Amino acid sequence: MPGADLLAPFRIDALKAPLFVSWQITRDCDLSCLHCCTGSAPGKRLPDELNAEEALRVAQDLILHEVPYVMLCGGEPLVVPHFQALAQRLGNAGVQLKIETNGQLLDAAIVARLTRLPVRSVQISLDGDTQAIYARQRPGASLLKAHTACRSVCDAQLPLEVTFAPTRFNIHEARAVIDRAVSLGAFRFNTGQLMRIGTAARQWAKLAPRPDEYQRFLKTLQDSSRVVGNPGIELCYQPFSVTDALRGSLKEPPATLLVLPNGWVKVAAALPHICADLRRHTLAESWVRYRAAWRDLAVIAALRSAIEDESRHADANAWQMIPTYN
Amino acid sequence: MNTSALKTQNHENVRSETTEAAAPDGKPGWETPQMEDVSEQVMAQPYIRFT
Repeated sequence: MPGADLLAPFRIDALKAPLFVSWQITRDCDLSCLHCCTGSAPGKRLPDELNAEEALRVAQDLILHEVPYVMLCGGEPLVVPHFQALAQRLGNAGVQLKIETNGQLLDAAIVARLTRLPVRSVQISLDGDTQAIYARQRPGASLLKAHTACRSVCDAQLPLEVTFAPTRFNIHEARAVIDRAVSLGAFRFNTGQLMRIGTAARQWAKLAPRPDEYQRFLKTLQDSSRVVGNPGIELCYQPFSVTDALRGSLKEPPATLLVLPNGWVKVAAALPHICADLRRHTLAESWVRYRAAWRDLAVIAALRSAIEDESRHADANAWQMIPTYN
Repeated sequence: MNTSALKTQNHENVRSETTEAAAPDGKPGWETPQMEDVSEQVMAQPYIRFT
């Protein structure tokens, strides 16, 4: 049974800090996407989000503990007033950065500032290849702005990743978006099964592709992999579902921390369990608590439950500190 | 398996390892994370790859 041997060593047990921190710096966003897994939207900033001073203190802790790679995401990270300060604090200390954005606000001036930092990836969402389909999933958004942002990134010789969240609305445009990503100069195309978390969970009946649609989608990805090949764009879609990823995580928990806008640390994206609070705990303490969480019986039971029934992922944003961790 | 005993054991580990992790030199034998170890597998978690 996966994860049954609680005494077997994990890779994370050997590391003094995470390899990667995914930091959702806000729930605020300039868009209200139907498929959003964090439930972000305009005005959704949480009342207890880390302020600039607190966020910079956390950044300093990440630097102190030599975390090599940090992703700044959201919500939309570019709506956060201290985004630049945060990126500069981390980047100037040598921390590699990934920036995840919808591209609506990513202008040439921001891109120019990012070129001075060690940016390994700027990930922009292209959830459609026509304005009508793109805006159906991202109401009010401009596909032209997203494409322009992609071009600015590549023109500045920053590495561009494109991500595509498949829904019943846009799944038929997947092939066109892959071709678009290639023509824009992206080095990677990311996709996978829609996550049943946040806004997407609430809109599930309307959004979730049917099994036959997913079958055709997977065939498109497989065919595209053969056509595109190396050294072209990398197509990244495995593990395909959150459930598949959870199965793998039970055997080998990821050496990553998922930090929420209020500084809480999640055990796994599909679970509501919180193992640490970066307002109260140092990164070293949070890392120890994260590693211990993967041997906590309540967490393991919740992981197995989430693997059995994907609909339980819908509770993942009702965050709860693991009771014995308070 | 005695569930409550295991839980207690886990949380004792949390406390003792926290102390060791906070020490200036870190726990003996612990590895400093390296960018080279950030594999495709690390980055393939759906919440990283695709949100």
